Amino acid sequence: MSATQPAAPSGRSTAPHDRGLRTRASGARRPASGGRDASEPGRRRRARWLTGYAFVAPAVVLFLVMGLYTIVYGFSLSFAKWNGFTADWEWVGVRNYLDLLYQDPTLGPDLRRAALNTLVVMIAVPLGTVAVALPLAVLLSSIQRLRGLLRSVYFLPYVTSGIAVYYAWRYVLEPEGPVNFLLRTTGLGSLARPQGFLADPATALPTLIVIMIWTAVPVATLLYLAGLQSINPNVLEAARIDGAGSVRTVRHIVWPLLRPITTAILLLGVRDSTQGFQIFLIMTDGGPAGHTDVVGLQAYHLAFFKGLSPTLGLASALGWMIFVAALLLALANGRTLRSTR
Amino acid sequence: MARAGSRTTHRVTAAVAGLLLALATACGGSGGDAKSGDGGAKSLTMWTFKRTHLAALQQAAEKFRTSSGITVKVEAITPDDAFTAKIQSAAQTKNLPDVLEVHAGGEDFRIGGAGLLADLAGDFPASKLARFLPTTREAGLVTAERQRQITELKPAKVGNLFSVPFTAGTFGIVYANRQKMQAAGLDPATPPKTWEEFVDHLKATTKADPKQGGLSLGLKVSQTGYNWIYVQLAYAYLGKERYEALFGKGTTQGFASPDGVKTLELYGQLTPYWTPGATALGIDDADIAFAQGKSAFDVGGTFTLAFLSQNGMDPKNVLTFPIPPPTGGKISDLRLAPLALTGLSVTATTGDKDAAVKWVDFLTSPEGAGVFAKGSLDLPATDLGTQAEALIGSDLAALQKYFTGPPENTFDFAATSFRPPGFDDAKMGPALLKLSPLKESDPAQTGAQLDAVLAAMWKVSS
Repeated sequence: MSATQPAAPSGRSTAPHDRGLRTRASGARRPASGGRDASEPGRRRRARWLTGYAFVAPAVVLFLVMGLYTIVYGFSLSFAKWNGFTADWEWVGVRNYLDLLYQDPTLGPDLRRAALNTLVVMIAVPLGTVAVALPLAVLLSSIQRLRGLLRSVYFLPYVTSGIAVYYAWRYVLEPEGPVNFLLRTTGLGSLARPQGFLADPATALPTLIVIMIWTAVPVATLLYLAGLQSINPNVLEAARIDGAGSVRTVRHIVWPLLRPITTAILLLGVRDSTQGFQIFLIMTDGGPAGHTDVVGLQAYHLAFFKGLSPTLGLASALGWMIFVAALLLALANGRTLRSTR
Repeated sequence: MARAGSRTTHRVTAAVAGLLLALATACGGSGGDAKSGDGGAKSLTMWTFKRTHLAALQQAAEKFRTSSGITVKVEAITPDDAFTAKIQSAAQTKNLPDVLEVHAGGEDFRIGGAGLLADLAGDFPASKLARFLPTTREAGLVTAERQRQITELKPAKVGNLFSVPFTAGTFGIVYANRQKMQAAGLDPATPPKTWEEFVDHLKATTKADPKQGGLSLGLKVSQTGYNWIYVQLAYAYLGKERYEALFGKGTTQGFASPDGVKTLELYGQLTPYWTPGATALGIDDADIAFAQGKSAFDVGGTFTLAFLSQNGMDPKNVLTFPIPPPTGGKISDLRLAPLALTGLSVTATTGDKDAAVKWVDFLTSPEGAGVFAKGSLDLPATDLGTQAEALIGSDLAALQKYFTGPPENTFDFAATSFRPPGFDDAKMGPALLKLSPLKESDPAQTGAQLDAVLAAMWKVSS
């Protein structure tokens, strides 16, 4: 068996391949001259199209099912009353939107308070991220030793961020948690919060903002580092020769050159601030007494914490209002930054 | 050449089609309805939203399997929002289980109103409902009044029964750590008789242990203070009529009235004694804090004992009593009517309604309820009568003594007809939190805020 079989597979494997090569070669040598031959290039092109479409089909189908379908479904739902069970939706037109904006007095006060908190977060988180990430990136790019290690250390919050980290933060910020302990043992007891940082209305929202910044800084720093590496060293060298110090170089050369990256970071920050609500849900659930309530969390509560009442349409309408607000802000933000370039 | 190209195309198309088929198969759910298992044996699936019930339900299922030959697979889906989302998606894909444990008096009506629950009226006639505690018997019954209150019930018929009571109990039960009481010089065997005594107890335990001698409650869920302390306190002080008047439409006897402000003042007396960080504690967090000795008192419901026990608290170290009535109030011996907390429903899509009903029947029989109660330390809605202590143990049976008393002294949490339709207790919580523990508003301001919230609810309902 060993004597005869090795030859056979070898013969089988090469023959079709050779035939293919020959066919292709002959096709190239002999241009179409009518009849069946004339249609061959067209068929080949169709075959290639079909192959191409077959390859992209899964992605397109996935997008149609998971993306487009859900978008259309969600948008339609925003004009209906539904609790997720009944066979039919009750169409209510734009009432969900009107209820959220002014018509329903039980929704308005909470929503306005949440919108205000969201606005604060939306301004503070992107600005805070830039304020921390840019100096950090400049410092990291200027040192030679331990740069890789430090980069990894500063990237840790991003790698580890998520629900587990939020729970860890809750523990850290408790009345008897490590932060209060550290403050009390280092003579900064007046800064400690006896109720903990999340239960105190004065510190709850600022604390969440700091954690959001902490989570956003790694990616922003990486983006800035990439931007810094793309700056022509000759430009920086020329500035130094002209007598510009570090601060002046950063302010007048690096900052303007990194403005597109800053735009991207700000836009990402605005997006996270308007649409992200997990941190608020896990750490405070909008409390104490609504002091950390945000619109994303309101939408989540409307969808899943109303005792199966038909509020999915309201939640969806709120989601779309958040989307439109975020889109408008992103456009305005981008335009403002472009105009100052 | 053309054939080769066409073959390639076919192969690619076939591969893509296979991939899509696999994807579609993966996306498709597996049915959760009753099936015949190996050898033709029947099997059922059941979902519960209470993790603390899982082990006890499994024990009961094992007993049921022995007697009936029907296997029941029980699955706990927590937290509540995950349970809600799971039911919603399962309803869409027609993958609901055979039996659901749901919040009674709300979820059952909304799911049933959508046609997803079987009508159990024929399977549980009045004679069979008599096995339950009187105030819980009709918890799952569709009445004209309930149809008026819950719009999703409109497609249902008066008389439909969408759930039978499973666990019963009430809110407003205080749990005290006997050791901490003793350390504070208090009698660990005697509960405070009045609200003022309770506040004095809190003062004593907080003085003895300023960091871990206070009152824990999951105020992160803002309405717990309202539902578990305030309403019982206000009812005891004002009595039924004046209490209900607080919620009236366009009333002048609302929360900003002298009656309302007085009750808010009483509630505000708790402010110095909350355990640090109470507003950031979830309900479970607060119970765990108490079980770990981080507070001297904890407020919950009859169901809290199970959770405390599961978290290492020895029931013998716990003294329980209902929210004590204030001195000079209308009621001096407050009793708390048990309400059905959870109910059992059979889904309309079950493949074997008879088997599902048999399982529900077993779980609510004295035998099944006893097995469940012993395993979960939760009170069943089944009236165990004189057998209670033998079936569910002395700790749990002791909680039942707060259920009985003269009707005029009994606060019934389930009586809600005086409130606006669509009443949302989550809207009441923040105002009360601002009063205590946050001290952001005084009782008069809080009363005005609560009146405004109620006025908005009345407006929406009209």
